[in-house]
Amino acid sequence: MIMKQNNLKLRKLLLLFFIFPYLVISQTSLSGKVIDKNGITVPFANVIEKGTTNGTTTDENGNFTLEVAALPIILEFSSLGYEKLELSVINRTPISVTLQESAESLEEVVVTGLATSGKRSNSANAVATISAEEITGTTPPPTLDGALYGKFAGAVINANSGAPGGGLSVKLRGATSIFGNTEPLYIIDGVYVDNSSIAAGLNVVSAAAGQGSVANQDNPSNRIADINPEDIANIEILKGASAAAIYGSRAAAGVVLITTKKGKAGATKFRFSQSTGWTEALNLLGVRDYTEARVLDGFGENALAAYIEAKNNGRLVNYEDELFGEHGIISITNFTMSGGGEKTKFYAGITHNNENGIVKNTGYEKTSLRLNLENQPADFFRVNLNTNYIYSSSDRGYFNNDNTGTSIGVALTGTTPWLQLFPNGDGVYPDNPAGSSNILQTRDLITNNEKVNRVILGGTANLDIYKSENSGLELILRGGLDFYSLKTVALFPKELQFEKPSNGGVNGVSVQGLVQNKNYNLSAFLVHNFNTANNINFTTQAGLTRENFDLDGQLTTATGLVASESNVDQAANVGVNQTRFKQEDSGFFVQEEVNFNDLAIATLGVRGDKSSNNGDANKLFYFPKASLAININEFGFWGPTTNWSQFKLRAAYGEAGNFPPANALFTSYNAFSTDGILGISLIGIKGDPNLKSERQKEFEFGTDIGFFSGRISFSGTYYKKSVEDLILQAALEPSSGFTTQFVNAGSLENRGLELSLNLVPFKSDNFQWELGVNYFKNKSEITELNVDPFNIGAFGASLGTFRIEEGESATQIVGVTPDGIQKLGDAEPDFQMSFSNNIRYKNLELSFLWQWKKGGDNVNLTTLLSDLNGTSHDYDDFGEDPTGTLPNGPYRTGQLGSNAAPFVQDASYVKLREVGLYYTFTGKTLSNVLGGAIESVKIGASGTNLLSFFDYNSYDPEVSNFGGNSIFTGVDVTPFPSSKRYLFNFIVNF
Amino acid sequence: MKINKKIHKIGFLLCTMLLLASCEVQEFSDLNNPEVDGFETGLTRGDLQDLVGGILYSSRINLGTYYDDCGVLGREWWRFSSSDPRFTTDLLGKGDAQLDNNTFYITNPWSARYRTVKNANLILGFLDGQDLSAQFTNAEVTATKGLLKTFIAYELLLNLNLTDVNGIRLDVTDPNNLGPFVTKAEALAGIRSLLVEGASDLANGGDEFPFVLSSGFSGFDTPDTFLKANRAISARVAAYQADFPAVLSFLSQSFFTLNANDLNTGIYYVFSEDQTDLLNPMFFIVDATTANARIMYPSFVPDAEPGDTRLNKVALRTEPLTLDGLTGDYSVFLYKTNTDPIAIIRNEELILLYAEANITINPTETVNALNMIRQSAGLGPYTGPTDSASLIDEMLNQRRYSLYAEGHRWVDMRRYNRLGQVADPAFERPEDDVFSLFPIPLTENQ
Repeated sequence: MIMKQNNLKLRKLLLLFFIFPYLVISQTSLSGKVIDKNGITVPFANVIEKGTTNGTTTDENGNFTLEVAALPIILEFSSLGYEKLELSVINRTPISVTLQESAESLEEVVVTGLATSGKRSNSANAVATISAEEITGTTPPPTLDGALYGKFAGAVINANSGAPGGGLSVKLRGATSIFGNTEPLYIIDGVYVDNSSIAAGLNVVSAAAGQGSVANQDNPSNRIADINPEDIANIEILKGASAAAIYGSRAAAGVVLITTKKGKAGATKFRFSQSTGWTEALNLLGVRDYTEARVLDGFGENALAAYIEAKNNGRLVNYEDELFGEHGIISITNFTMSGGGEKTKFYAGITHNNENGIVKNTGYEKTSLRLNLENQPADFFRVNLNTNYIYSSSDRGYFNNDNTGTSIGVALTGTTPWLQLFPNGDGVYPDNPAGSSNILQTRDLITNNEKVNRVILGGTANLDIYKSENSGLELILRGGLDFYSLKTVALFPKELQFEKPSNGGVNGVSVQGLVQNKNYNLSAFLVHNFNTANNINFTTQAGLTRENFDLDGQLTTATGLVASESNVDQAANVGVNQTRFKQEDSGFFVQEEVNFNDLAIATLGVRGDKSSNNGDANKLFYFPKASLAININEFGFWGPTTNWSQFKLRAAYGEAGNFPPANALFTSYNAFSTDGILGISLIGIKGDPNLKSERQKEFEFGTDIGFFSGRISFSGTYYKKSVEDLILQAALEPSSGFTTQFVNAGSLENRGLELSLNLVPFKSDNFQWELGVNYFKNKSEITELNVDPFNIGAFGASLGTFRIEEGESATQIVGVTPDGIQKLGDAEPDFQMSFSNNIRYKNLELSFLWQWKKGGDNVNLTTLLSDLNGTSHDYDDFGEDPTGTLPNGPYRTGQLGSNAAPFVQDASYVKLREVGLYYTFTGKTLSNVLGGAIESVKIGASGTNLLSFFDYNSYDPEVSNFGGNSIFTGVDVTPFPSSKRYLFNFIVNF
Repeated sequence: MKINKKIHKIGFLLCTMLLLASCEVQEFSDLNNPEVDGFETGLTRGDLQDLVGGILYSSRINLGTYYDDCGVLGREWWRFSSSDPRFTTDLLGKGDAQLDNNTFYITNPWSARYRTVKNANLILGFLDGQDLSAQFTNAEVTATKGLLKTFIAYELLLNLNLTDVNGIRLDVTDPNNLGPFVTKAEALAGIRSLLVEGASDLANGGDEFPFVLSSGFSGFDTPDTFLKANRAISARVAAYQADFPAVLSFLSQSFFTLNANDLNTGIYYVFSEDQTDLLNPMFFIVDATTANARIMYPSFVPDAEPGDTRLNKVALRTEPLTLDGLTGDYSVFLYKTNTDPIAIIRNEELILLYAEANITINPTETVNALNMIRQSAGLGPYTGPTDSASLIDEMLNQRRYSLYAEGHRWVDMRRYNRLGQVADPAFERPEDDVFSLFPIPLTENQ
């Protein structure tokens, strides 16, 4: 058929040959079509006659025509994301070219300055980039940050719990701060987006922050979970100051730059995807092997009678299973359309997630709407507008530590199988005779909900003020707004066992919080490009930045509820708490980049920032950066036939800041009351108005090497980053009236190694295997400490706590031992590795990603709390006692107070993070369906965390009772257990 | 090239202009709370009310832990907490467990008491550091100082009770230059002289405080009546010093009355359910679970004389409660609701102090006073021998029941070197220990 057509065309051409002889005398017209391996046309691909400047681009349908002087010639085809292809053309037969997607991601563009990007092959920093395919291609991730596991070297990502709706921490290149922010700055299409975790006020019921620890243990989600992963085109990660210096005073913990999808000119494309599946517990611990003797010994005679009775009636209940055994249904629906003409392009998407948790009455719902518009009214002027509206609602249950025995997790440790906790026919729950909470009643009746309405708007205008052959001046204006309101509701109705006044309760608690957050940022840049005659390119940029942050939160706590009202004014006692945070930052940025014909690329820049959060608000602080990249392969040593496709050496240095915590600058009273008399009292923290920001200085160097047109590529980076003027909440003698004081009093250092290897071991038309391996390790050390060593985090030395000490790791864990306080572990992993595989056979595609965390310790108190209640699954097993005399339960409880070692446990794991198996039906198969309107249909099954291996005695080594924004995570106190997800996916493009 | 140069110039000019015009940023003060510095000038009557209100508040923080420390070490009760095992391990010396110097049971109450001292010292600083004649009379300022000094002394005394011969810091006005730790004897002397100083201020303090106090001070809410409370505390301090003539002298100037029907006159911590207030931390329901319970030390009921009505301070549970190898049938039930007041000092203690002081001075008065206490508890008169040793036994026994769960037993037995007698081997786990004092918190750097 095709040949015939070609013949026909040939005949037509011959006809033309006769009709218009003058045309063919001077020129030859070539035409053809460019498609990718799926048969989808590639618009705007470059088609160039090799060795000349003669060229064109393909149109919206992938077609091109090109006039050439004479045949034969060589045509070069290239397009972003595809490998360059050369084709020798000897006749005028219409050409059909299939471009292969680039096997390596080296030709992508990465950020080089606040207003510029450049080829990755010229970048002097190890900027990690994650593509849309990597984010959502294998399996739809639960949240955006949950999609980052194992995808690049240098990040420790940890889920705080398994509660639906997120709650993760991302730490880039080790410990960046002790008391300051440790989470990266997130910027989406130029908008600074808030990633707060805001507590819902559960502490009034849990009293978790009563003894020893004041940190938030409410297990809130973090706000980056609002961002819809499906909308993302790519993510760039600036891991340390050497790359992040361009973001200055708030970039010390790294920057995550997110770019959302854009429309391409051409026919409007539609994409619909539906994922449906379920979530189930990752790992349940099981129930202790009870016998009559054990029950009598541990719980007394009454319990024994109850045990025997329940056993005889077959009424022994596995309450762990009852609580965590749910299969939560997940549904993710996504619809996008994109397209546009030459002047206006658009991308619009809507996503709806509805997920239930592994605990009844928990779940997550999200709707996200996005419209991205790009308009180019004139060649020299381009405007982008990105808009995103998000609604989300998450029901997170009531877990983690408490001091009242009421959190479902803590109460479960005291719930034995012979208890009868189910409601009677009238729906009345019995009180738990053995504890203060009936877990089933708590699960069924409480509400712990977070609702978010959020709008993120970003706009960019690019104006080419001047453009000539070898120079240009561009003005870039950017503005962004992130506005959200967060409504939290924590409702503990009066029917609950622990709310009944007869049980010492306060007759119901309703805590309602409302947080309004508005961030906006503005910037203006001038970028000047200049090419010299001998191919040296100078890129100069200078501009101003301004960021405003304004958060206002009010939390109303009502106790003694009237009837079944949850309205906070229908209550006996009402308290209000307001928290405000405002910050104004302003600064400038200048940078000069010199590119010697891609052989060597040098960059020098500085950012100056002032902030209302500094002691002296209008003082400028400077954050310099410098970098050099040398592309040895471009020097031409190896000749044109070499297999070396890249050999780059690079080095970069940069500085970045980290603000003091908002309350660190002031010594203030807090308001309280006594019998109706108001009063103001210190709360034990001494501020310092002259506190300086922390300053991070990072030097990194490395190499990027590629062989065989990128079928083998390797990237290695070594970095050393030090943090000076470390802000510490140093212990003060409590007799001073203050227990802690904020001071600049130390330095810490991280050294790390990051290696990535990408291989394409097999590559043919039908079969392709891509393999990626990442390895990284980081070692932190407190290099200077001008205050006494102090304990921090967790619950004190008898249970295992973190300790800041000069010469030691920033995350060492110490505890009491028979020989005094000793180092018992370190939260920092020895190393992490990930293995990603993508295997394609014809239209069948299998991808999977393994992540291995080696080493790193947790403080596991879940097991201890179960031991103390005699309920741990391994209570009667042996193995923990080195002398072999005591079973595990008695041994562990016996060590309490004299030895914390049993509670500090290795939290290594290997997890199959993502796996997906898909089959794609392409245009050919579908040509008879709906008149061929369907371009492709992809169906498959996928999963998250389907396999996990660890030797850790709790639900999951990935846990944090105290949330994410600190380096002292990994404390395990009866969390919401982690889960795995199974999904069936259906995607259609038309 | 020329055009390029121009562009460069234009660019440079633009940048410079933008930089010069760069926006100023606003400086914010603390948006959420009043800053301490704000009171150093222009102190108003309203400010003083709030500042004194802060003392009333903070003097109650972590009181529950203080009472648990005294009550568990003194074997008045066991504190069960399924979420914090250290109540039944560290505090009872289970196995090899020792009291840790950086754990909540000492650090929390210790720092809470010193925080109140700081709150009070800051007010003393505000009063001395500015001209207040427009707002307050001299007498009002003096009366305020007397009240603050009394509070400071009492808070210091509670901390000394915990650390005993390990001592405390007396001089803590300047956080950057704290005074040394002093011995127990020096500490008691210092506390006493602070009380005497406060008493003299109160005596010269006119008729009214320039603020209102909580209902816990009802009857003691003017300078001259508060002075009587000050003297009562002084009497306790003198008893701790074994300075019995001084005890009697202080008692005579206090609200002490030798009256069996007036045992509860005194000053109190009060509580409410208001969200910004505190609840009585010593209240748990009778059938409290292992989540949080105070289980009576089992010797308390059998050791009592038959008919002692003071056994109403404990209540029989529906079922015994077991945790960590400890089982008890009774819960501590001194307070019947979570808003009952807790006594700071009350007349029953004063009568017992009177009895104690008279053992060496006038034993007949001792027997009289003890009989008054016995009678109020539904017991017949004391029939035992009246030598000093016997009277001390009887006095300590009456204190055990009269002041149960009010933080006295452990301190009393310690000052008579009888801590060896508080534990009953029948109810102790094999390796439990009775500790006599808490270590000084780690962060005091001692």
